[in-house]
Amino acid sequence: MKFSINWLREFVELPASIEQLAETLTIAGVEIEGIERRGADFERVVVAQIKESKQHPNADRLSVCQVDDGSGVSRQIVCGAKNYQVGDKVPLALPDAVLPHDLKIRASKLRGVESGGMLCSAKELGIAEDAAGLLILSPAAKVGAPIGTLFPADTIIEVEITPNRGDLLSYLGLAREIAGLTSRHIRAPEIAPAVHSVSAGVGISASRECPFYSARRISDVKVGQSPEWLRARLEASGLRSINSVVDITNYVMLELGQPLHAFDAEKVSGAINVRLAYAGEEFLALDGKTYSLRSEHLVVADQVRAVAIAGVMGGEDTGVKTATRHVLLESAYFLPASVRRTARELNLPSDSSYRFERGVDPAMTLRASARATQLIGELARGTAETRIGVAGKLPEEDVEIRLRSSRCQRYLGVSLDEPETTRVLEQFGLHKTRVEAGETWWRPPSYRTDLRREVDLIEEVIRAYGIEKIPARDRSRFTPMTAADRIYDREIALRRSLVARGIFEARTSALVPRAFKEEALPLKNPLSEDHVALRPTLIPGLLGVLERNLRLGATSTRVFELGRVFRAGDGKESRNLALVFSGRAQAEPHWRSGAEWQLDFFDVKGVLESLGRTVLSFRRTEKADFAFAAEILGEGKILGLAGQLSGAHTVVLGAHAPIVVAEIALEEILTDDANAAVFRGLERFPAVTRDIALIASESLAHERIVAVLREAKEPLLEGAKLFDLFDGKEAAGLGGGRKSLAYTLTYRDKNRTLTSEEVTVVHMRIRERLKAELPVELRE
Amino acid sequence: MPHPLEELRDSALRDIAETQDEQALENLRVRYLGRSGSISAWGEQMKTLGKEERPVVGKLLHEARNAVTAALAQTSERLRAAKEAGALAGLDVSLPGTAYEAGALHPLTQMLDRAIQIFRRMGFALAEGPDLETEWHCFDALNTAPDHPARNEQDTFYLADGRLLRTHTSTVQIRTMETAAPPLRVIAPGAAYRRDEVDATHSAQFHQIEGLYVDEDVSVADLKGTLEFFLRELFGEDTAVRFRPHYFPFTEPSFEIDVKSKALKGGEQWIEVCGCGMVHPAVFEEVNRARSDLAFDPEKWTGFAFGLGMDRLALILFDIPDLRLFAQNDLRFLRQFA
Repeated sequence: MKFSINWLREFVELPASIEQLAETLTIAGVEIEGIERRGADFERVVVAQIKESKQHPNADRLSVCQVDDGSGVSRQIVCGAKNYQVGDKVPLALPDAVLPHDLKIRASKLRGVESGGMLCSAKELGIAEDAAGLLILSPAAKVGAPIGTLFPADTIIEVEITPNRGDLLSYLGLAREIAGLTSRHIRAPEIAPAVHSVSAGVGISASRECPFYSARRISDVKVGQSPEWLRARLEASGLRSINSVVDITNYVMLELGQPLHAFDAEKVSGAINVRLAYAGEEFLALDGKTYSLRSEHLVVADQVRAVAIAGVMGGEDTGVKTATRHVLLESAYFLPASVRRTARELNLPSDSSYRFERGVDPAMTLRASARATQLIGELARGTAETRIGVAGKLPEEDVEIRLRSSRCQRYLGVSLDEPETTRVLEQFGLHKTRVEAGETWWRPPSYRTDLRREVDLIEEVIRAYGIEKIPARDRSRFTPMTAADRIYDREIALRRSLVARGIFEARTSALVPRAFKEEALPLKNPLSEDHVALRPTLIPGLLGVLERNLRLGATSTRVFELGRVFRAGDGKESRNLALVFSGRAQAEPHWRSGAEWQLDFFDVKGVLESLGRTVLSFRRTEKADFAFAAEILGEGKILGLAGQLSGAHTVVLGAHAPIVVAEIALEEILTDDANAAVFRGLERFPAVTRDIALIASESLAHERIVAVLREAKEPLLEGAKLFDLFDGKEAAGLGGGRKSLAYTLTYRDKNRTLTSEEVTVVHMRIRERLKAELPVELRE
Repeated sequence: MPHPLEELRDSALRDIAETQDEQALENLRVRYLGRSGSISAWGEQMKTLGKEERPVVGKLLHEARNAVTAALAQTSERLRAAKEAGALAGLDVSLPGTAYEAGALHPLTQMLDRAIQIFRRMGFALAEGPDLETEWHCFDALNTAPDHPARNEQDTFYLADGRLLRTHTSTVQIRTMETAAPPLRVIAPGAAYRRDEVDATHSAQFHQIEGLYVDEDVSVADLKGTLEFFLRELFGEDTAVRFRPHYFPFTEPSFEIDVKSKALKGGEQWIEVCGCGMVHPAVFEEVNRARSDLAFDPEKWTGFAFGLGMDRLALILFDIPDLRLFAQNDLRFLRQFA
């Protein structure tokens, strides 16, 4: 809420500077979000009238003016603006004036011509952004008068009021808080004495939602424009002036915190009844829109129709206009939860609902009505009924809160003596009802609906005592590792090992756009086209990253993401790792580089194979959008998918090289115990290696050859590595549709050195087996 | 008058000393020490010598062999060294080294990890919970009833089945207390979501670290000690830390924390970095109700909780002007954090 300091000052004496006030409130939990100075109260800036204007002899853009500054002596000013006419009244900064941004005005010579000050724009005076030319003042302005008489200075502070402190949403409320924090007295406005109440003319059918309602008739009002001071105060607080009666209801709301509403009494048919709306009841509100109400919405109705959505907004038909002759002034207490639900469901927040839903002071309901009646009498010459119509009963909570000093100490970590806490609580308007050993009992004031429990009082104590006075304490504790710790450690180790392999980590949103093609769990209430569903896969996000980087000229992109995905049907969460590679294997040409190659499927596969202890295998599969795809399997389970995107996608994404991707579920590979490594002993005897080269059909998989070698179950065979591979296209002699594969086989006995003869025997057996089991031709 | 064997030795040493290439040196070795070399020949000749002369010549022969062998080795090494020096003389050591480019962790990951490491040094263990949550975990259990003014459903993403995307990681407080018993001391890093227009300082998805400490006699003093230590570890020893009373439904008293440090850009301003407070007894009561026990008896246990906005901390710490850079993953941006 915005507060005018000039207005606030009427309620309480303020600290010497605004900055000091802001600091006091902020460290007590009432944060000042902005300080804005208004008006133009500068010393030595006066109203001047331009009497004569001539071209500057030495500068095309300047003029030389003779002005009347009220001193009786004409003053010469050099001026760059063009938007004035001789006879206009404008602000004149005299020598020694200091304008915003510390601009000091001096008498000087401008291009050889004397200038005795400066004619000012609105911007130079800090009262508007307009810098186009001089600020032209009203012809009625008095020459020589200080500019502050036209633009009185004020400071507007913007206060962030937390939802629990509805009592601060008024000048009186904020002043009360300042008074409490600075040990000063409050000056409440004088309010006409209470009047007799009658039960005629108002009734309540929904007493839970509306505990109390009052309406007072004020006759023969002259509705017009509000006086300048009233308009200025509303505008300073961010409200628009409508007419005198409406302005007064808003003024009293700002002043005392109680929202009021004024009806045109002649438009209201018969007695007021506060009731729940009929299902589907239509209501034309003051904002010109028609709302369809539900049966839990509370309305203020006359005998014919609803005339207001209770606590939210009045009706268009019954609003006070210039022609209104008689006014019915409403002041009520509506249930906060009811107002909140209604305003939220109708998406119709108002200054009134904002206050009601945060809890208004029940003790203020009739006082506010009296205050507004008094002002309408003064400013709109209305005559109020001597009696006010009321229905229901104002809520009176008999709250008594116990405060144990032991509890206070336990919460705050410091021991405060009882007189200290008593002083603080009394300053905030609480009343001590009882004292027992080590405890005091407190009744909060009616406006502090947020104070209900012991901890609430402890908070008041610490707010006023100052948290800076509480010494910081170190309470570290031995904590065993959790499952989440282990997951985190493995994830960060995985991220780091991918980074060490030259891959960059990307983080993309878990919310995916409308254009997303896969099936995904949709949000019920998306805000933008970019965030409509929860991602079931990380790949599209990474392709977006690739596309962006390609557009920015990247020639080599290797990115990974490790993050949560959400299953399309039920939103089950799991963690995936995805990789997207495209372009050159090396980001930049380098003088040491050997053959350059384009990143392909085997680059992605190699990364996945190097990650963990889980042995992965790859199986061709068919998948839309892919040139080729392979399922990633670990211990028989499908863990993910890898492959190369189809050329069509490559073109769309703007890539000139294949795009290879992989995505794998992490739960399986991360559950491996990272500490499982056990020393296995070192080989003590040398190995013997023999090569085998074989020619096979293109369709024979490497995997099958390895399987035959493994199934041979030769105890001396330690391993086999493919070291060369070429096909008919690379070696013409091979013939089409065939390929050559060369393996190095390693033989070793862990207890002795093998002889060449022994190895030859085994090696020959393996060669025979390969020939027998597979359609291959062995080369010598 | 020198013995002929001594003359032979001296001539061999002269020849060796003058040799400039390895092949010539090998020829000399053969000529003097080879099987039919002239020094070796003396070995044969020994047999023909008389008894007195033999030991004298034998000694001379031994010395000559040793001297020539040593000279050969020395010259061989000199020639090898000279050849090597010649070969590498033109090597330009200013050439760029072989490229071993590593990738980089995303700056948000780096930020989270730094924060996590600090809290771990203080004895916090990790906890986690789902991004997709129930209304109860996100609001009701956190003392934010449906009609509570702080419950802002406008800013919450919902699913058709009534679940929602958590608006804060405080849900993990509840998740943790549902299953564990006090004392407990955890942090929960994770994503949270807000139905908010995206701009330089807002995104639909953001990251927080939630903290919860429940024990006997946990007080505001402990809260202060913990978070002041954390913020000074993160931003430097000279960081000023200010606790400002605030309001959250699930803590009472509640605070926001501001920091100020010359080391930070705009460091003369207080920058808000954290919301925190003492766990509201109503939260303990609701957890107890859900557990059907009194594990978190508010008369016995007190606790503090906090939530740190990691995106914002990363912006401050790395001096990044716009939050959207995090989601763009421009490699030129990522490379700066390698």
